[in-house]
Amino acid sequence: MSAPGGRPVVEATGLTRIYAADGVAVRAVDGVDLAVEAGETVSVMGPSGCGKSSLLHLLGGLDRADAGEIVLDGRRVEGLSETSWAVLRRRTIGFVFQSFNLVDELTAVENVELPALLVGASARRARHRAVELLERLGVADRRDHMPDRLSGGESQRVAVARALINDPLLILADEPTGNLDSRATGEILRLFADLRASGQSLLVVTHDARVASTADRLLTMRDGAVIGHTHLGGVAPVGSVLAGLADFGDAGGAR
Amino acid sequence: MRSFRLAVRLARRNLRRRPAQAALLLLTLTLATGMFGVGMALYGSADGPWDRVWAATDGFHVSAAYYRGRDADRADVDLDAARARFAELAAAPEVRAVGGPWTHLYGLLDVAGGTEDLTAEIRDLGRSPVDQPLVTAGSWLSAGSDGVVLEQGLADALDVGPGDTIRVQGHQLAVRGVAMTVSRGRFPLSRPAQIWITPTTGEALRRIGLTEEGLEMQLRLHDPDDAEAFATAHEAIEGRGETSALFLDTWRRRRADSHSDIDILAGTVFAAGTLIGLLTVATAAVIVGGRMAAQTRQIGTLKAVGVTPRQVVLALLVENLALAGLATLVGLGAGRMVAPRLAEVSQTVLGRPETPTLTWGRAAVVAGVAAAVVVLATVRPAVRGLRHSTVRSLASGARPPRGPGHRTRWAATAGLPLVAVLGLRSARRRPARLLTNAVGLSLAVALIVVAAGLRPSLNRLAAVGSAPAQPGEALSAGAVDHLYEAVRAIVLGTAGLLLVLATVNALIIAALAARDSARNHATLRALGATPRQTVATLIVSQLGACLLAVALGLPLGLGLWSVMDGGDLPPVPVPATTLLAIAAVVPLGFAALVAVPARRWARRPPARVLTYE
Repeated sequence: MSAPGGRPVVEATGLTRIYAADGVAVRAVDGVDLAVEAGETVSVMGPSGCGKSSLLHLLGGLDRADAGEIVLDGRRVEGLSETSWAVLRRRTIGFVFQSFNLVDELTAVENVELPALLVGASARRARHRAVELLERLGVADRRDHMPDRLSGGESQRVAVARALINDPLLILADEPTGNLDSRATGEILRLFADLRASGQSLLVVTHDARVASTADRLLTMRDGAVIGHTHLGGVAPVGSVLAGLADFGDAGGAR
Repeated sequence: MRSFRLAVRLARRNLRRRPAQAALLLLTLTLATGMFGVGMALYGSADGPWDRVWAATDGFHVSAAYYRGRDADRADVDLDAARARFAELAAAPEVRAVGGPWTHLYGLLDVAGGTEDLTAEIRDLGRSPVDQPLVTAGSWLSAGSDGVVLEQGLADALDVGPGDTIRVQGHQLAVRGVAMTVSRGRFPLSRPAQIWITPTTGEALRRIGLTEEGLEMQLRLHDPDDAEAFATAHEAIEGRGETSALFLDTWRRRRADSHSDIDILAGTVFAAGTLIGLLTVATAAVIVGGRMAAQTRQIGTLKAVGVTPRQVVLALLVENLALAGLATLVGLGAGRMVAPRLAEVSQTVLGRPETPTLTWGRAAVVAGVAAAVVVLATVRPAVRGLRHSTVRSLASGARPPRGPGHRTRWAATAGLPLVAVLGLRSARRRPARLLTNAVGLSLAVALIVVAAGLRPSLNRLAAVGSAPAQPGEALSAGAVDHLYEAVRAIVLGTAGLLLVLATVNALIIAALAARDSARNHATLRALGATPRQTVATLIVSQLGACLLAVALGLPLGLGLWSVMDGGDLPPVPVPATTLLAIAAVVPLGFAALVAVPARRWARRPPARVLTYE
């Protein structure tokens, strides 16, 4: 689960992503330097449209950087082909999305076992592991339900189980509580705290101060750039840090 | 009125927003209406010329003919008895004028490569009150001339005219004129070849061995509409034996038979138009169905802002009926332009084929085809959009499946590759679209099978045509080749068109399926699926329609072919290897087509799809 030799599981240098909108170049990610150590939880906060989600997508290979370097598990990856990225993602990265992104043609348990099947696990082994994770996350009784029959909290727990099934080096979570009510948010918070305690490396993009407060470090972003870097140690009261974010007037979703 | 104005505005905006879809719908509709337009214009194109010749020649209302075998001694009805029956007919009170009876001599015309059966009709000098042939070159028979007048088709086949000569059983005859008449069809489809001669020439020909073959008499009645009743009333005088026959015919029957080759062409075009029309329904349904999500959302939006359901349906209908109207105009126009060119291959038309007057009835049939297609394709999304609540319409997206289904569960446990299982799951998402696609493709497959059978059959026919001619058929052998060539061109062209339409259908369906699956596939890629795996998933999800189409299309095509080769075509079974090749190549081609939009989506970064789709 952790990178050998204590090196960062992911390290980005000068990461830049420029979108062209109506002929105007928008620097969604602007020269970001970032490293996530093995077993570390890092939160990224910032106003809507500051580039948090774009950063996450670049780190997971879901989008291509215009400049900069990414080293994942000790390997330069920014120039990899789509196929190589896909194969690398299977074992190293687990994604958790705000809108869950469960494959709506598969049941809950089939969604969870999907990444295991993609790495070549036998159907029996993949199913066993998937059920185990669903039990651990408290949604085993919903295993045969289609995604549209699951509540938001259940869907997100299924999505977390799916992200965990291949024991990835790093979990990238994009607004994991963004679509959840307060009760479901509480469940996910406990889940993330458990993950952190188990030594799982996590990079969480969030608006939610409670989610951010579970991290070891908090990065704040504005206009595509990282403008603040705070060590929380995972237990620090984050009120003071969050107060600094208040002037962003942030109420929307992540970019 | 306000509703209609709003509907027109909405329809115009939709057409402007989706010009490619509108153009495609228009194209497919125009193909169907065009084929119907051509078919209808063809059906009537020979009647005008026939009617003119009929009027110019004082054409018959009832024709009486007596023919006997070449061995005169074995005739079932003798010549004197036939003459007596003809006299009885001519004396009937309904008869206004009589032409003939004229004696027919049978002989052989000497032509390059052999001989051709010939009938020489002995005409009295002077103009006949009934069926006086219309001279198109030279002059009619006259006293003191031993020249002959050739039937127009024969003159064309021999490429001779006034001043030239022909030889009948070694005897040279001068061509005095060329003429046509409705009592005798055009050579070579109407055999034997016909010439008109004077009694003097008849005597000369008898001396060189021409024999009396029969008699013909043409009658004009007081009322041409009584012809059928007259023939029925006098059918007792008819007699059909083994070696001779006496029979009556009416002008209406002869008129209908006068353009048999054009009727075959028109029938083929109509059949092709029907098949294309069916596929157009499938294409239109696919296009409209593909817009269903957007349309349903639009319906939701319109309902949310206070537009009534009636106005919504009206907007949809106005948009698609406008396209149908345009397709009708283009189709009718195309029909009027193409039909005369197609009719030119006819060897039966007396003179130049012409486009019949466009009647409201004909226009209504073509417009009806186009309207039926779009109404069929529009009703479903309209009803669905209206039935759904406004909120549900607004949130409309790709419909999630209710469950994994037994078969796909089985597929998962049976150890099928992951992409196959995922593809099978996707296939359950849009069963109606899958079925529509299968039906459209099966028509194309069926026509490919027909084309595969038609080709060797026509080749065999051509081989028969190129074989040494039978005695007495040196000139007319292979006369129908041109017709089969035209039929072949229409069938092969239709098969090609259906293939193009089916390809377009497949591409549209693949593009829609790719769009429907885009988010799921982007998620799969986020989880580690490669672009190739997502492309394969999409292909598997759509392949079922193709396999179903092959399963339906092969027997359908064989059935169609068995109907066709039961006619005049030599029966040639479609080889099993050809059927196997079709069964293999069609799915491969389909898979290649589906891969096109699938690859396009697979090239997009998953982040963009997950964020914006």
